[in-house]
Amino acid sequence: MKSRWAWLAMAAVLVVALVIGAQGRSGPMTQAERVKHIASEIRCPTCRNQSAAESDAAAAKAVRDEIQRRVQSGQSDGEIVAFMVSRYGDDILLKPQGSGVASLVWVLPVVAVVVALAGLGIAFRRWRARPGVKVSEEDRALVERELEREGV
Amino acid sequence: MSNVSDVDVAVGRSKRHTARWAAISLGVVLLLFVAVLATRKSAADKQAESPLLGKQAPTLSGTSLDGSQVSLASMHGKWVVVNFMASWCVPCRDEHPELIKFTQRHQAAGDAAVLGVIFDDTAPNVRHFFSELGGSWPVVDDPNGQTALDFGVRGPPESFLVDPNGFVIWKGIGQVNADGLDKLVAQGKARGA
Repeated sequence: MKSRWAWLAMAAVLVVALVIGAQGRSGPMTQAERVKHIASEIRCPTCRNQSAAESDAAAAKAVRDEIQRRVQSGQSDGEIVAFMVSRYGDDILLKPQGSGVASLVWVLPVVAVVVALAGLGIAFRRWRARPGVKVSEEDRALVERELEREGV
Repeated sequence: MSNVSDVDVAVGRSKRHTARWAAISLGVVLLLFVAVLATRKSAADKQAESPLLGKQAPTLSGTSLDGSQVSLASMHGKWVVVNFMASWCVPCRDEHPELIKFTQRHQAAGDAAVLGVIFDDTAPNVRHFFSELGGSWPVVDDPNGQTALDFGVRGPPESFLVDPNGFVIWKGIGQVNADGLDKLVAQGKARGA
């Protein structure tokens, strides 16, 4: 019973944390914050695994400057990201888009989690009630002897 | 004793069952992986993906190494190899004689030319590079990386073949060679560009 409450408490904490995390900050972003936010979604062209917001490379600076120019000219985040994709292709985005082969990146982890959970469920059910297992009197006596020896 | 045997049989059957499903799952995943790899383009195929293919080339203009103003638009009517390069880039050094060969082959006919763009390098370094290795085509400085961004360039050498109407018909990542470029130009001419 105690463990059930502990699990419920953990689930409640997780849900509250997710809700707070999903809400993020309130209020509109400044232009500088928008530039940083958009640049954080764009891959630095010359350094594969860093965002254009983090990298010191000249190409990353060019990307940041371009984003700034477009933010100042009144373009939306979507328009700016679309421009980058129109020049470099989809893989300039740090988060893969949910279409084509790239969608596997999103689908496969979900499939893996579902399969793993199903596997665990099946394993737990088997461990709980294995139909082929019959406990003999000898087994019971053995367990009792061991428990007595351990002083339980 | 018979109880123990029953347990062993049940557990053994269960393990075999699990192993079979694990093997089937692994096999399916491997098959999918092979299928994805088999349908990708070969690494030997130097034609690189670019959203610019088939589209009008981005505006390209700037100051050349000799101080004159150069633009891609002014080369309208010619096949132009737009070549992003840097003096520190070893493959650029290796492909340079091929670009010289390409320009020499087309010098008389005047149907094709090379337009270099400096990528993440300085004009004095590139001037030294040309005085050392030869070549006399215009090279545009791109100090802020704007032209590289407009063409979606990730690193030198990258080359784009622009047809006489200003459309990008090919992008190559890595070294180019004169014969390969000639073949592309011939194919483009045959298509009536």
